[in-house]
Amino acid sequence: MAGDIRPDWWGKASAGAILGFGLALSLVGLYAYLGPGGIDAPTGRYSLMRHLEAFVWIAVFGFCFLFRSGRAAWAWLGAANLIAFAALFACRFYFFA
Amino acid sequence: MIRADIVKLYKAIHHWIGISCGFALFIAFYAGALTMFQEPIARWASPPAVGVAAVPLDDAPRLLELVAAAHPEAREEGITLHLRGHENEPARVTWKEDVPHQAGQPHEHVHWWATLKPDGTLLAKQEEPSELAEFINRIHMRVGIPLPWGSYFMGVISLLYGVALIAGVIVLLPSLTKDFLALRVGHNLKRMWLDAHNVVGITALPFHLVIAVTATAWGFGGPLWSAQESVIFGGKQKIVMKRDFFEHYAAPRPTGEAGVMMPPAQLLLRLNDQVPDFEPKVMVFKNFGDKAAAVKFVGAERGYVGDTSFGGVILSAVTGKLIKDNIASRQDPDRRASTVFYALHTGEYGGITIRWAYFFLGFSGAWLFYSGNLLWIETRRKRARKGGEVEQSRSTRLLGSGTVGVCLGCVAGLSLTIVAAKWLHGRIADLNHWHEIIYYAVFFASIAWAFACGAARSAVHLLWLCTVATIAIPLTTLAALLFPALGMWAYGSAATIGVDVVAFIGALCFAWMAIATARRIKHGPADSIWSIRKAGPATPPHKPAAVPAE
Repeated sequence: MAGDIRPDWWGKASAGAILGFGLALSLVGLYAYLGPGGIDAPTGRYSLMRHLEAFVWIAVFGFCFLFRSGRAAWAWLGAANLIAFAALFACRFYFFA
Repeated sequence: MIRADIVKLYKAIHHWIGISCGFALFIAFYAGALTMFQEPIARWASPPAVGVAAVPLDDAPRLLELVAAAHPEAREEGITLHLRGHENEPARVTWKEDVPHQAGQPHEHVHWWATLKPDGTLLAKQEEPSELAEFINRIHMRVGIPLPWGSYFMGVISLLYGVALIAGVIVLLPSLTKDFLALRVGHNLKRMWLDAHNVVGITALPFHLVIAVTATAWGFGGPLWSAQESVIFGGKQKIVMKRDFFEHYAAPRPTGEAGVMMPPAQLLLRLNDQVPDFEPKVMVFKNFGDKAAAVKFVGAERGYVGDTSFGGVILSAVTGKLIKDNIASRQDPDRRASTVFYALHTGEYGGITIRWAYFFLGFSGAWLFYSGNLLWIETRRKRARKGGEVEQSRSTRLLGSGTVGVCLGCVAGLSLTIVAAKWLHGRIADLNHWHEIIYYAVFFASIAWAFACGAARSAVHLLWLCTVATIAIPLTTLAALLFPALGMWAYGSAATIGVDVVAFIGALCFAWMAIATARRIKHGPADSIWSIRKAGPATPPHKPAAVPAE
């Protein structure tokens, strides 16, 4: 990433908090559908998922300040959210409905 | 190479999260360190049950039968047979009873214990056990804020704490090879504190990352569960969870037909045959006397991470046959991973060595937040001082007072409420409620004192308060030994004596800090918040005295 990095505290922090949570939920949701055994797997997966979500959430929130601006953070993370949620809902309502 | 502007950005993030979350994190880490020895503290604080003779295991069948006959409602809830004879187990057999409650309200329980009288008849009594250890755990989990807001609050704190960890590492990375493990003890006191802060933070980083992730997951446990159910599972999560519960945890339903119970000693042998590596602590009998009666062994499967938490084994109490279990070696990979996360937070692996390690890691974490706040204050002082010494800004002084009041108030409050377990027992009606009152009274009074007197003076006062409150723990045990008329108790087990010894050493540490702080506030640079001398242009800038700030 060339050029200056603007602090944009509120823009980036809100992107990290909100879109980081969305990305965590959707990515872990994909694991729930695509992981071994699928969504109906008789396992303790529902319990593990919270930890994975926390991990992704913290990672996205922590590194989102590397975006050049708040606007860039919202754009990139928003796009990632769209893709991840689209894949999740495709799994939920189409492939494994 | 990380660019300078990125480092600067993350430095600001690290500082501001540290300042805003440091208080809550200090409390969580200090109380969390104490919870590593929750069981010894519970044993230390539990009064001996009056008139209870130890019932040998061979007499347990008769005791269980008498309890089941006299208290039929206990059969469904489960009758617990204790196998270790710890001080916080009032008698061989205990059980809980539901208090009538409105639908939708949380269950409340009353606790019973039972033993055999010399003539072989039943002696059962309702008595509430000491909740001191659970209270310390509640302070650890939610810093004393009621549910559910305390949970959400700590969720936010933990999330930001995770971000601050990432930020701190990014800040340190460029100079890691130069700064790491370089503890420059010397005239530059701030440099030394920063070096120490870095060493402690980096070496304990894996621990902190695990704590941040798990604490975020638990703090937001309820909301995350709901979000998973509505967004991911679409209503199926409840079903999966119920099935998981029935397959691994739930005892079979009673048939209504009577059955002959296998004696506990024999059940223990049957357990050992079928699950050889399992070390049981207690046996819980469900539906005692029924043909489908079951016994759940709670205990540890050594050699696994999370060896104690989820290790339940259920046998038929009639035939002794294994019905179901959830021991570590047979968990599915997802459950295993979840248990590992859990146990990496609670230090449940590797036995007592890891408990001690976590105890010190907890203190080191608390120290990180304390030292972090002080570093920030000192940096601001240096920046504000251009040449001569200046008065500290209002916000810096308030932050200093807050740090001192909250941190030391928590320490003194916990120590005093532990002491109260022995002094107040039998003298007041609801001791468990008084544990809370005492803690909060000391905590808030300390904060008020810190703001009234300023950080420097109050730090010395409050450190002495911490010393006195903590040394009172072993002194109370000593008083119980010397003056039996006081009605207190002193046990001879290594665990309870350990509580006294650790408290004694802790008190010595607080005393040393109090002396060091007293020296610093007299002789340190006058423009520091750690000084009681007035700053002014007349005072020449001092080299900081070579004593730690506390």
